[in-house]
Amino acid sequence: MRGEYLLEVRSEEIPARMLEPGVRELATRVFEELMSRGLGPSEVETGFTPRRLVLILAGVPERETDREEQVMGPPVRAAYAADGAPTQALLGFAKRCGVAPEELSRVTTDKGEYLAAVKKIEGRATSEVLAEIVPRILAGISWAKTMRWGSGEGPWVRPVHGIVSLFDGQVVPFELHGIRAGDESAGHPILSPEAFRVDGVAAWRRELASRKIEVRPDERRRILLDTMQSRAQELGGRLMDDPALLEKLVAICEIPGVMEGRFDDAFLELPAEVLATSLRDHQSAFTVESASNGSGKLLPCFLTVMDRADDPKGRARSGNEWVVAARLADARFFYGEDRKAGLAHRAEQLHRLTFQEKLGSYADKSERLAQLAGAICDRLGWKDEREHAVAAARLLKVDLATEMVKEFTSLQGIMGGIYAREEGQPEAIWQAVYDQYMPASTDDRIPRGRAGQVAGLADRIDTLVGIFGLGLIPTGSKDPFGLRRAAQGVVRIALEGGLALDLEAVAAEAARLYGDRLKRSPQQILDDLRPFLHDRIRFLLERAGSTYDEIEAALAMGSADLPDLRARVDALHRVRESADFLSVVLAAKRIANITKDAAAGQPLDESLLAEPAEKDLWSAFKGLRSEVEEAAAAHDYERCLRRIADLAPVLDRFFVEVLVMAEDPKVRQNRIALLQAIGRTVNRTARITEVVVDKAEARAKLPL
Amino acid sequence: MQTLQDLILRLSEFWAREGCVLQQPLDLEVGAGTMHPDTFLRVLGPEPWRVAYVQPSRRPADGRYGDNPFRLGKHLQFQVILKPSPHNIQNLYVRSLEAIGLNLADHDLRFEEDNWEAPTLGAWGVGWQVMLDGMEITQFTYFQQAGGLELPVISAEITYGLERLTMFLSQSRSIYEIDWVEGIAYGLVRKQEEYELSRYYFELADVAFLQQSFEGHEREAQRCLEAGIVLPAYENTLKCSHLFNVMDARGAVSVTERVALMKRVRDLAIACARAYVESREKLGFPLLQRKGAADPAQETTETRETSEVADAR
Repeated sequence: MRGEYLLEVRSEEIPARMLEPGVRELATRVFEELMSRGLGPSEVETGFTPRRLVLILAGVPERETDREEQVMGPPVRAAYAADGAPTQALLGFAKRCGVAPEELSRVTTDKGEYLAAVKKIEGRATSEVLAEIVPRILAGISWAKTMRWGSGEGPWVRPVHGIVSLFDGQVVPFELHGIRAGDESAGHPILSPEAFRVDGVAAWRRELASRKIEVRPDERRRILLDTMQSRAQELGGRLMDDPALLEKLVAICEIPGVMEGRFDDAFLELPAEVLATSLRDHQSAFTVESASNGSGKLLPCFLTVMDRADDPKGRARSGNEWVVAARLADARFFYGEDRKAGLAHRAEQLHRLTFQEKLGSYADKSERLAQLAGAICDRLGWKDEREHAVAAARLLKVDLATEMVKEFTSLQGIMGGIYAREEGQPEAIWQAVYDQYMPASTDDRIPRGRAGQVAGLADRIDTLVGIFGLGLIPTGSKDPFGLRRAAQGVVRIALEGGLALDLEAVAAEAARLYGDRLKRSPQQILDDLRPFLHDRIRFLLERAGSTYDEIEAALAMGSADLPDLRARVDALHRVRESADFLSVVLAAKRIANITKDAAAGQPLDESLLAEPAEKDLWSAFKGLRSEVEEAAAAHDYERCLRRIADLAPVLDRFFVEVLVMAEDPKVRQNRIALLQAIGRTVNRTARITEVVVDKAEARAKLPL
Repeated sequence: MQTLQDLILRLSEFWAREGCVLQQPLDLEVGAGTMHPDTFLRVLGPEPWRVAYVQPSRRPADGRYGDNPFRLGKHLQFQVILKPSPHNIQNLYVRSLEAIGLNLADHDLRFEEDNWEAPTLGAWGVGWQVMLDGMEITQFTYFQQAGGLELPVISAEITYGLERLTMFLSQSRSIYEIDWVEGIAYGLVRKQEEYELSRYYFELADVAFLQQSFEGHEREAQRCLEAGIVLPAYENTLKCSHLFNVMDARGAVSVTERVALMKRVRDLAIACARAYVESREKLGFPLLQRKGAADPAQETTETRETSEVADAR
């Protein structure tokens, strides 16, 4: 195909995590810049290996189209001398534009008549455009981390070694950090290091294929996964699911070879979590779960990548097996030491582990967590769970002092749970410890048991309050303490666990437990924490299908008790479409408008109600007020809202027949007081005025 | 290629041929080869420098009384600095592996991201851990900052863990079983030392004395800095760093002290780095004056021609 551009940048190994975003940014920016010049390609292909960034375009026009541009010159009055002869201003302008003086035209603007020239701009050849934009875009890729090398070259992600840049077989020349683009590529640095020349995409593909190099990550992923899965099956097992690990393997090889190794059966006495973590963290290896029983037992083998197609002398395999044996022996040593020492002994070491410089040690934190978990149970009225939740909270951080967690930080919580189980702790306690970091992601579930939910909540609230209490509120992408995830955990545990709890009171208690360590007052902390939590609440409720205005309306009336908030949002969602409710929304907006300047809480004098419409409204309202309050107390907000919607006809009549702004100030004030009372009850569930009403929809539904 | 000693000899020979000064270990306790003044100070400023040496490196808290087959309280690093980092540095490194007897065509060699940071030295770099058949055999770092100073010329640091590499090459089950030289196992040379150092660092070291010593060396470092002599100031800083590590292993450093002590070491290291650059500048950066060293870029372009295509073996 004509209009084909091949860009291959070879460098030293680019970190796995940066490859995909880097190549995506490169492709997007090149595509956008070409489009803006009318040079959009019909096909865009990207690829990468640790040592290559690849961009292939097809169907790129050969050159920009020629265009004309009008250039404004001097005003006509300055262009000619008194005798009609052209002035220097005119001649100079014509010369600058490269046109003859007689070719200039006249243009009338607001400011008068001006001379203008039509400049013909010849479209540039695409290769010229590429030579200008590609090096600029390459140099400007926003890598997560850049470096310099040599005598200060860079900054770029890693030192550059070679660039192929060919448009329809011709080199598009440019330079990047001292390396000139050309037509020379090279193979695998060890297996096929010789350089080779190419004259286009087809030849380049052929050359790489003959060296078994696969630049398409999707293809490498497919090959690796297929091979590993079928090997696992042949071994009588199932490959452990680990998408993040698979992505890493894809990004650390250019030849997608699978390495299979085995380890001694004796290591199977280690908990499966430990085996899988050791193999994953140290060897980037997948473990294989036994297919015969669903017990989570592992087979004594592992699968990982090697950057080569085969291993004829078995060196890669024997090397990996040796390392795995050493690592697992290490893990077994830690496991033995930890079990010998026991959790009680580890707990004594927590005072040496800093939670946060100004917030003290993990021993301090453990004590706070125990207190806070107790306070949460008291608020929830959970008497039976209290003992377990407090014990779990005190045990929560103990595994930080174990050898295993010092080695594998990702086993934090899980390891404590395993050790607690082995020490014979009740299920509620060891599970609470095991589950403490759940939910770890949006798809993860919350802790299994009530003790775990309480302990997990206490841990996160303690962290949030402590860090906010030092004024270290996360901004932008900076969130070193993972506070957003902590907040999300709080919201999800409270919502999904149905913990009817005043979270603000719990946060205030957490602040109290810090004593004088915090720089800011509980009130300041709550004021910052509230919007921070609201962001997570909005995100989660929107994901669950609520709309923005429903959430805002409900949040405006309080967010301390999340299951209650959820009930209010859901109720609003269910009733908002009914015609009567729509008319209540409109009435609420009118009420808010009319009463917005009045002092709150005006007393109502029944004897001053004169008009039938207002008397009817008052009696209808009195009739349903207590029922609304009862329904609200029972969290039955749908009934709440439906009863309020029953007011619609009388409210509508009131607004039609009664002039609120009566001349007699007493009457006026009394009517405002009536509306205020109704407004308070109407807003019992949510600030109804926040609900967005589509005008057309309202008109169609309302019986006007 | 089985013994530790052979490894040291071959690596020394290889890097000597690449123009490295074959330096000797620093005669003080340090945690890593990076702390040797021929790395930490020489990477500062514009002067070119190539050096290689073995550095016994002490990590008191890693001691295991000689019981653990994979961990040592004191291990040997083979340290190489090439400044400025040449264009063919990865290739040179690959050839150094071949020099110790590896036929890489039979192995799987990968460079995986691993950045290095030493807060107490105000230093960080970017680089990889080099994995050979799944074993981390080398730390490869491009220094970006040291002593809190941005580096105008970038050094490549290559650190081979000698025991681990020997262990791997001989597929031994324990560090103590590797041959130092044929017929003399590593354990025979060092096991007693490992045990006794662990006893001292974990059980016997006198905390009050360590604290006094820390303060004494800190004062000495400051006095030297005031007198304008950098290397003794830096040596006293290293003493502080080691004393801190021992106190830490001894369990004598509380949460708050820890941060404060690390900051004190860091402040000294940064002051030494600045003073060193000033003192070299006063001398007119002597290594820049060396013949042939004026244009390091020239050197790298020459090697570049051959590296890419021909240097496979």
